[in-house]
Amino acid sequence: MTRVTRRTPGSSVLRLPSARIAVAILAVIVFLAIFGSTLAPQSPLAIDAGALYRGPSPHHLLGTDYLGRDVLSRLMAGTRLSVLTAFEAVGIGLVIGAPLGVATVFLGRWFDFSANRVADALMTLPSIFFAVAVTAALGNGLVQAMLPVGILLAPVFFRVSRAATLEFSRAQYVEAAELLGGSKLHVIRVHVLRKVLPTIAVTTATAAAGALLAVSFLTFLGIGVQPPTPTWGGVLSSDLDYLNLAPWAPFIPGALIAITVGALNALADAYRDRAGAGELHSPVTDPVIKTHSTLQALEAADDRQTAA
Amino acid sequence: MAVAELTTAGGALAAPRRRRTRAAASRIAGGLAVLITILLLSSFITYSLGALSNSNPAATILGQDAATPAAVAHLDHVLGLDKPLPVQYGNWLSQAVRGNLGVSYFTQIPVSQSIAQRLPVDLSIAIGAIILAVLIGGTAGTVAAVRRGGWADRGVTLACSAVSTLPAFVVGIILVVAFAVGAHVLPANGYTGPSAGIGPWLAHILLPSLALALPVAADVARQLRTSLVSVLEQNYITGARVRGLPYRRILIRHALRNAAGPALTILGNDFPLMLAGAVAAEAVFSLPGLGQLLLESAQTRDIPVVQGVLLVVSTFVIVINLLVNTALGLLYRSADGVGV
Repeated sequence: MTRVTRRTPGSSVLRLPSARIAVAILAVIVFLAIFGSTLAPQSPLAIDAGALYRGPSPHHLLGTDYLGRDVLSRLMAGTRLSVLTAFEAVGIGLVIGAPLGVATVFLGRWFDFSANRVADALMTLPSIFFAVAVTAALGNGLVQAMLPVGILLAPVFFRVSRAATLEFSRAQYVEAAELLGGSKLHVIRVHVLRKVLPTIAVTTATAAAGALLAVSFLTFLGIGVQPPTPTWGGVLSSDLDYLNLAPWAPFIPGALIAITVGALNALADAYRDRAGAGELHSPVTDPVIKTHSTLQALEAADDRQTAA
Repeated sequence: MAVAELTTAGGALAAPRRRRTRAAASRIAGGLAVLITILLLSSFITYSLGALSNSNPAATILGQDAATPAAVAHLDHVLGLDKPLPVQYGNWLSQAVRGNLGVSYFTQIPVSQSIAQRLPVDLSIAIGAIILAVLIGGTAGTVAAVRRGGWADRGVTLACSAVSTLPAFVVGIILVVAFAVGAHVLPANGYTGPSAGIGPWLAHILLPSLALALPVAADVARQLRTSLVSVLEQNYITGARVRGLPYRRILIRHALRNAAGPALTILGNDFPLMLAGAVAAEAVFSLPGLGQLLLESAQTRDIPVVQGVLLVVSTFVIVINLLVNTALGLLYRSADGVGV
């Protein structure tokens, strides 16, 4: 047990093959986000009327779409916008939610109560509806659309970091540190925050997966992008209109989205498994409105069983 | 539950029942207090959206030529947009409670009327999806738990993780390709109301409901498998088997009843997810639902419609969540005894 705590969590996670694969996939995606549009083999906007709905071939590795545009190039060029806006949403959620979640434990009951009610209210807003509604108010752009997604991710970070902080702030060593005269800020920073950070890291990975899904779905609906601009969801939605001619086409962008989301989730799972039950506060799926039911998801119990 | 039944049967009839009723009443009252607070907060957020947009509704309605400052000021006054935000919100909310959500800036159709027109579409696919999720998820979870470690269990687990990785709209597209384009069994798009006949109506909502149900069914199956496995290891199950009761009866009456709680909670919590999925299903299957209404009005910046749809949807989610949680609380009175 002590050996596990001394190892840095990052390196021990990478011993799991699933985590290594996930990190490799995510590295490729980040690489594509940076260099995708420069490395694309052909122009993502070049129309070729002589090669519509082509299947994969040496010339077009992933085939062509309804205008004869190269699908591989379009997906590579579309990566940056999808990844950046997903980062935007996660960043907003993290910056708003996590510090408040840690702070609320130390700011008194009244603040805690009202912050929780606000979180409850935010969690009831269905994020996709909210995102579309905000584009009506702030203008049709993906950056505007992901703003509410980020705000709606904040209560998730808030809840998880609050629960973890609550748990660790009751630990005896925290009490001891306080009795030894450590200031509140010092105790939080040194003794509580360090324990809470892994939990927040796991939540970040899960939230990033959710944000990426939201981006692809919004671009699929045509929110926030002008038609010739390539995006993951946009490629998918244009394929949908020509299902009779090319029924296999939507599976390429669909698989790309699913693989990326799957990699993020696998990384979060690996981290969670590796850290063990005592180390990491498991982010239990909270009921949206906590009224009286204390039923909890049993996923965590199952994980322990299968591990044993 | 058994203890309570024993005491009522034992003769002391009135007292425990009264106590139970009082406990239930306080539960519901507490829930209602939370409900109203949350509804007020989320409706205020919804209304503030209109104020956030620096679009000038009066100028938009009047069009560029007729929008003289005097006409804009007059229309602002008529629409009540010259008052401070809290007053506007109060007026809007008191009208909304009476079912008046204002009129569309562009079509002049009452918002409540267009919502009432679209709501049956979403309700049909949502109810269909819940039924399918319970059927598919319940069966898969039970089979996986009973045949724990076998190929059926592994298959269910694999299918569950595959489905929950895929976005709802991709699941929808796969279903369209499989059933409508490939096999020509079911219509790929459009909606006909139940008034045109039950058969065509069911045929049109089956695929969207299935697309909506599969991710939820995966959650339900996973949760049910977990809790059923731990319930089946309990002593009272062994006891029932030793007494020679038929396994089917033990499974349904003794094990499933106690294991269903967490799965039902998941079903309630997944409801907001289902609404997002409904927007996806509407887009994939081109159904005239609330999501399409929201998309159209967001593109034209028709703020009253956007606010109305958002209010109706979030109210639905909040009320359903409260109902589910209260029902579960009443169903399993000793909540911490469920499942484990």
